[in-house]
Amino acid sequence: MRRRLRILALLLVGLGGCQSLLPPRGDRLVLGSTGRLRTLDPADAYESLAGTLFQNLGDRLYAYAPGTTRIVPQLATALPQVSADGLTYRISLRRGVRFHDGSRFDAAAMAFSLRRFQRNGGQASVLLADRIAAIATPDPYTLEIRLTRPFAPFLALLTFPGLCAVSPRAYRLGQGAFLTDRFVGTGPYRLVSRGSDRLHLEPFADYWGPRPANGGVDLQLFASGSTLYNALGTGLVDVTLGGLDVDQVRALQQQARWGQVRVVVGPGLAVSFLSINLTSAPLDQRPVRQALAAVLDRPLLDRRVFAGQVQPLYSLVPPAFAAAVPSFERYGATGNPALARRLLTGLGYSPRRPLRLTLWYRSNTSSGELVASTLRAAVQRRLGGLMQLEIQGVESTTAYQNLDKGAYPLFLLDWAPDFFDPDNYLQPFLACQRGNDRDGCQDGASRQMGSFYWQPTVQQWLEQSGAIAIPGPRQQLLTRLQRQVAEDVPYLPLWVNREYLFTRPDVRGRGLQVTGLISFGEFSRAHVAR
Amino acid sequence: MSRAKSLQSYLLSRVLLAPLMLWAIATLVFLLLRATPGDPVDAILGPKAPPEVRQQLRAQLGLNLPLPLQYLHYLGDLLRGDLGTSLTSQGERVTAIIARHFPATAELAIASLVIALVVGLGVGLATAARPDSRRDAAGRLFGIVTYALPPFWAAMLVQLLFAVQLGWFPIGTRYPVTLEPPLGPTGLYTVDALLQGDWRACGLALWYLALPAGTLGLLLSGIFERIGRVNLRLALQSDYVDAARARGIPERRILFNHALRNALIPLVTVLGLTLAALLGGALLIETTYAWPGLANRLFEAISLRDYSTVQGIVVFFALLVVLASVAVDALNALIDPRIRY
Repeated sequence: MRRRLRILALLLVGLGGCQSLLPPRGDRLVLGSTGRLRTLDPADAYESLAGTLFQNLGDRLYAYAPGTTRIVPQLATALPQVSADGLTYRISLRRGVRFHDGSRFDAAAMAFSLRRFQRNGGQASVLLADRIAAIATPDPYTLEIRLTRPFAPFLALLTFPGLCAVSPRAYRLGQGAFLTDRFVGTGPYRLVSRGSDRLHLEPFADYWGPRPANGGVDLQLFASGSTLYNALGTGLVDVTLGGLDVDQVRALQQQARWGQVRVVVGPGLAVSFLSINLTSAPLDQRPVRQALAAVLDRPLLDRRVFAGQVQPLYSLVPPAFAAAVPSFERYGATGNPALARRLLTGLGYSPRRPLRLTLWYRSNTSSGELVASTLRAAVQRRLGGLMQLEIQGVESTTAYQNLDKGAYPLFLLDWAPDFFDPDNYLQPFLACQRGNDRDGCQDGASRQMGSFYWQPTVQQWLEQSGAIAIPGPRQQLLTRLQRQVAEDVPYLPLWVNREYLFTRPDVRGRGLQVTGLISFGEFSRAHVAR
Repeated sequence: MSRAKSLQSYLLSRVLLAPLMLWAIATLVFLLLRATPGDPVDAILGPKAPPEVRQQLRAQLGLNLPLPLQYLHYLGDLLRGDLGTSLTSQGERVTAIIARHFPATAELAIASLVIALVVGLGVGLATAARPDSRRDAAGRLFGIVTYALPPFWAAMLVQLLFAVQLGWFPIGTRYPVTLEPPLGPTGLYTVDALLQGDWRACGLALWYLALPAGTLGLLLSGIFERIGRVNLRLALQSDYVDAARARGIPERRILFNHALRNALIPLVTVLGLTLAALLGGALLIETTYAWPGLANRLFEAISLRDYSTVQGIVVFFALLVVLASVAVDALNALIDPRIRY
């Protein structure tokens, strides 16, 4: 028996010693992510991990200057010349740029890339589908884009990672013609290989811009945050690209204080909110919705559920934008229970005849149930028996199927923008093409969000704010819109996330951009000189 | 009828029944997926996409057709050996997904089975020889604990102890992400590395395999421990063992040459049954260890309501289990003359 145990121990130690078989990583870095990667075709991919990859493998016409919200030319040479009617964008392009397959980048290649995105029918194609009327190439290094109608955030839209240039030699134009496993762009890295759970990226030798600070990256995909967390702890991964839950982030923050890992924090752009169904009684009454707004204690949610890892949100537009107006602060930063009581008693509610509401959440999200039960407890504690909140879970796919059917009176949802502009936090919530006062929105984004919000004035302001490019008047409209949302309460903004990156202590560089995208080229290993 | 003929007709009936079983499983999966709340289009597009885009995708995926028509298309494709195209990975054939991910599952399953057999039978046989001793009690406890442990929890604990705390083993994936894995005809990294004579690659593949396979193997070993112990004890109490003892044959020879041979016959049946448990266990182990196998891919496909991928993988798993079951029946019939058909 002892002999067998000795053999077993020797076997364990022997296998454990296999670590010595691993070659040193040098200046290459291993990045870990729990993201899903359905396809590598920028005309079809819509997942955030794909966006981060395109940020590093490709170049767009415009991008954000590192660490800022300032739009700067990338494949363009200057900001566009916009016609007086706001419909035509004339863009001069950079010369001497090569694709990863060696072919030359020019206006025809950029036009091809934009047309592919618009016409191939990918998931994100809706972003351009009805916006661009025509794309012309007056000369080999000039691009002319004509819009169907003026769209002020068009420049911000052009920074969308999927709108990167791809090689016409490698890709095809046509409905459903996608290249799932390869990527041929012009970015600082080129894709060397893709396995079922890994990608290898090498610096692109002919890149026109600055070289990455590392010798290449290997991206490993994990099925769960806990495995990624452990992989960082064991040194198998140098950098985590999100995907960790609240407890794991808290534990790593603690380790960062002891110098075991390094933490990079950035403002997030994903907002969480309650969608209120305005066609569902008693939520069709504005004072009821306002009472709900007054009973919320956002800092409490941040403390109890997220351990300080999110930021309370008082407008649909997060504070990372200068245009954000914290309009919901009128109900108090931590709520105003006295106002909520006054509003409810004014409507005839009492502890004997309480307001009963059902709050729905997505049961397959990590924090949904905890947020819902915290809200229920807070309502109970703050209003006594005046309001009773029941909570119900439902799986995301079922929820998305039934939101626009008005199935849920109150639903806990989140939203991540496609591009960095306040418009992307207002249109998808408030826009409605057709509606009436009795049934609310019949056709439009507010119906899809489950709110059915219909307000003709708001529609007018939305259209105007989308068309006006002049900052002052546009800001006025955006302010009016945010204030009107706080008055009508079709949604209750709750919190905006924060982005966390964790690295091994010997990894330098920030990587995290304000847009939430990550630049791999900023990371380097401290002891490796390049 | 002679024994050979009756064996033939028995095996033929089992082989003929196999497609029927597969059809039943394929139908069940088809219906269950459609009965499950949620829609692949919503899972693919999320809440952002406008209704016209949803409609377009629904038509493109053939989900706008009446259910009986979808079912007929599905069966027709199955008969042609076509498992369809993934709904979520543009244009990727389900057979290609299986071909890419199955070697990882196969490698994990084979290694786990070997560990389960060696450990389970080792403990079972060691305890059966000394009934009602302390060793016997420890063996029983081992069998119960390994059988009862939830795989997900056990995998987390093993990972924490051997990978995080002790740092002896890696976690996540099958091979160091910084190296190109050994590519060969089998897709099993350990075997392909050996075929190429690359000992270093084989060592690394084994190193990555050790924790997931060790966990799953230990969890399955309880079944073999119980089967081994119970059957060996019955064999050791039988008349032919008493007769052997009376003839003065040494106890060790009785154990290995007489009792053990007979005690292991039921093991063949259990091995067949274990395949299903192995694939079920692989689902949890692969997810916990980020092992890039077919079970992990199935988990992802279920959450995305990727009907064709789920159907394809489940039918493929069912085919494996049915084939194993037929093989076990045949093997049992061949090695055990007492079996009647």
